[in-house]
Amino acid sequence: MKTLLKILLVSALAIAAGAKDIKLLNVSYDPTRELYQDYNTAFARYWKAKTGDTVVVAQSHGGSGKQAQSVINGLEADVVTLALAYDIDAIAQQAKLLPADWQKRLPDNSTPYTSTIVFLVRKGNPKHIKDWDDLVKPNVVVVTPNPKTSGGARWNYLAAWAYALDKNGRDGAKARDFVKRLYKNVPVLDSGARGSTTTFVEREIGDVLLAWENEAHLAIKQFGADKFDIVTPPLSILAEPPVAVVDKVAKKHGTTDVARAYLEYLYSDEGQDIAGRNFYRPRSEKAAAKYAGQFSPVKLVTVDEDFGGWQKAQKTHFADGGVFDQIFQP
Amino acid sequence: MKLNQLILATFAGMQFVFPATAADDTATNSTGAAQAEIPAYTANGGATQSVEAAEIEALKKEVQELSQKVQALEHQRDLDQQTNAAVAADQIQDLDQKVRILARQRELDQESAVAAAKAQPRISVGANGFSFGSADSNFVVALHGVLQVDSRTFEQNDKVPGNDSILLRRARPILSGTVYRDFDFLFVPEFGGGTPGASSSATTPSIYDAYVNYRYSPEFQIQAGKFKAPVGLEQLQADVNLSFNERSLVTDLVPNRDLGFELHGDVAGGVLSYAAGIFNGVGDARNSSNIGFQDDREFNGRLFIQPFKQTSLKPLQNLGFGVGGSLGDSSITNTLGLPSTTGGSQPGFFTDGQQQFFAYTNGVVAAHTHWRLSPQGYYYYGPFSLMGEYAISDQDVRKGSRSADLQNTAWEISGGWVLTGENATFSGVTPKHPFDPRIGQWGALQVVGRYAELDVDKDAFPYFANSAASASEARAWAVGLNWYLNRNIRVNASYSHTAFTGGAGGSPSAAPGSVSSHPEDVFFTRVQLSF
Repeated sequence: MKTLLKILLVSALAIAAGAKDIKLLNVSYDPTRELYQDYNTAFARYWKAKTGDTVVVAQSHGGSGKQAQSVINGLEADVVTLALAYDIDAIAQQAKLLPADWQKRLPDNSTPYTSTIVFLVRKGNPKHIKDWDDLVKPNVVVVTPNPKTSGGARWNYLAAWAYALDKNGRDGAKARDFVKRLYKNVPVLDSGARGSTTTFVEREIGDVLLAWENEAHLAIKQFGADKFDIVTPPLSILAEPPVAVVDKVAKKHGTTDVARAYLEYLYSDEGQDIAGRNFYRPRSEKAAAKYAGQFSPVKLVTVDEDFGGWQKAQKTHFADGGVFDQIFQP
Repeated sequence: MKLNQLILATFAGMQFVFPATAADDTATNSTGAAQAEIPAYTANGGATQSVEAAEIEALKKEVQELSQKVQALEHQRDLDQQTNAAVAADQIQDLDQKVRILARQRELDQESAVAAAKAQPRISVGANGFSFGSADSNFVVALHGVLQVDSRTFEQNDKVPGNDSILLRRARPILSGTVYRDFDFLFVPEFGGGTPGASSSATTPSIYDAYVNYRYSPEFQIQAGKFKAPVGLEQLQADVNLSFNERSLVTDLVPNRDLGFELHGDVAGGVLSYAAGIFNGVGDARNSSNIGFQDDREFNGRLFIQPFKQTSLKPLQNLGFGVGGSLGDSSITNTLGLPSTTGGSQPGFFTDGQQQFFAYTNGVVAAHTHWRLSPQGYYYYGPFSLMGEYAISDQDVRKGSRSADLQNTAWEISGGWVLTGENATFSGVTPKHPFDPRIGQWGALQVVGRYAELDVDKDAFPYFANSAASASEARAWAVGLNWYLNRNIRVNASYSHTAFTGGAGGSPSAAPGSVSSHPEDVFFTRVQLSF
């Protein structure tokens, strides 16, 4: 009888400990498709080896602001990997799906990689675009997405503003005028960074694309170095795309542990290497050194220093009736 | 060509006059647009020759100057052409950019329009009713309705208390919906006949269903309010999908609607359905009022299994069986714990014709324990349908100082066949060819049959029921024809015969004696609208 009980117990434990199929949904912003395609494969391999479980990570991409709103409206993301902290703050504040201090849960304010904003120009740079000043010339057509919906566009906008502040002795009025003139040269506003890349690269509109650094490198990789050049301006902004587990959704799905591990693995050697390989600037010194050659030197300002943080920047510039609404005339 | 001609002509002593538009190709071609005047020729001495030589030199010089002017003009023309081409190229490029921008803007506008359309509230009008809701379906309000116009025609009409009648059996506007994605609600008032065959007070508009359901997942839902108690299978079938106008004798022994809280769900895609809840408790076949009649509660529960529902075994996919039951205790005695008063003035049981054939005598009350058990099942395959149910209602009753534990039982079996070949289901029949005589479509036809019995505990007689008036057993068979014109309109006709054991031998004037004194034969019709 005891033997039978032992067999039953061992069998039950074996069944209970059996490998599971786990599904995660990563809701991300526009230009991270390729990054997370690579990373998901690597993480699934890592997790399989560690636990025996099979993880399939579904990806959802779009303008960062729109993606955050989708999560607020019920899109059941286990993790979010968005373009800026404000968008995850919005999820925390409006939907209460994760705590307000979510950014403290992972190193580097939950930003495992960084990026910046550069210029992608036509091959040979026919309009001789070297710096932000060149973007406000009357004959230059600039392509950038809508900062109301796109996280990347907000980085673009703030980078231009930061340049104008730097150039004009911190004169806000002059910075406002500069950005206003810049947006006069913007004929179309896509809702996301990938849409703007399509506008510039595939629809062949404009002389310069304000782009995530990784997006610019990707365009050259995909469409050929004979078609575009990257111009890194002397000054740009430090973009820190954050990541977070959406606690309540993960808890509901029973995926909290794997979701947490999914984000933590971004800081691993392999995760950092994948980030660098996809033209993001890795946080780890090792990966940063490995990929340093593909990034041009640039003076980087931060949102905290120049704009008082994302909450203030959002309220001042991008909220309804904010500066952007005042200066942009479609 | 033009310069060569000039030089040759000069050496030939010819004088040329160039047109003002010498740089114009059309005016300088070799076919003679240029004009020449030939002077007289003399063959005098050296003076004459030197003069001629000087003239020639002058002419040469003039020709050179002209040649240079022509070259300059031609160069200027080339420059102009290049400039024009460059300007034109710039203009074309500008236009090209503008066209591309417009095209892209149009693309973005279309994307925005699609996105905006997705965000628009949705309105739906169709066979399933009218509904409108938010784009994400998190908020939905739907309006449905049921209207049943019946007729009942009794044989030996003069001997039954029920009138031959055309009646509004059910008239229910139904409001249902969802709020915040996971919370469903249903509100069903009744403006029709209400409790079938009951006194006029029962036709007063009343609330039939009013509940809120929290749907965490299909497997886990919690419902609160007034709704059908989870016991009887036939009772749980929607009114609009019944095979006959009225439910069978077996439903006399299960609760109708009650107030309470219920945990329920469908596990494994409906292979297992469960419901368990705590309710105010109602008597058999009773429909609860909006407040409880006693301090104690009643527990209701039901398990139903469709083991092949998710398999590929089509013939068995719609085989289901289960059991429902209830357990309650009435510490405060009350007639509301006894069966309904349908068809009469005292609690009791009623026929297909909604006439009461059994009644407790005045002064009988429900006391202490009341439990029910109802094994049940159905089978649907293609046009064939079969449903069966057994019910035990075990109730303690008291009259004065005497009490008894009465165990009443009933069962029914019913079946049908859709003559036009459509599938029969627990949720009704959907005609393949909705009624439209203009194109020769007539809807779906179904024949149905049923047999049912109800046995009253013999211990009920004679103290708790009058054996001279109430029958101790009823046996009913019925056949019918259901015509489904479309998903919303249905016409029924059926005939029902109920025979009794016990009861009145003569011709009493009131139920239950008048009902049980002879078999009941009744012809039903129904016109039903549901959406």
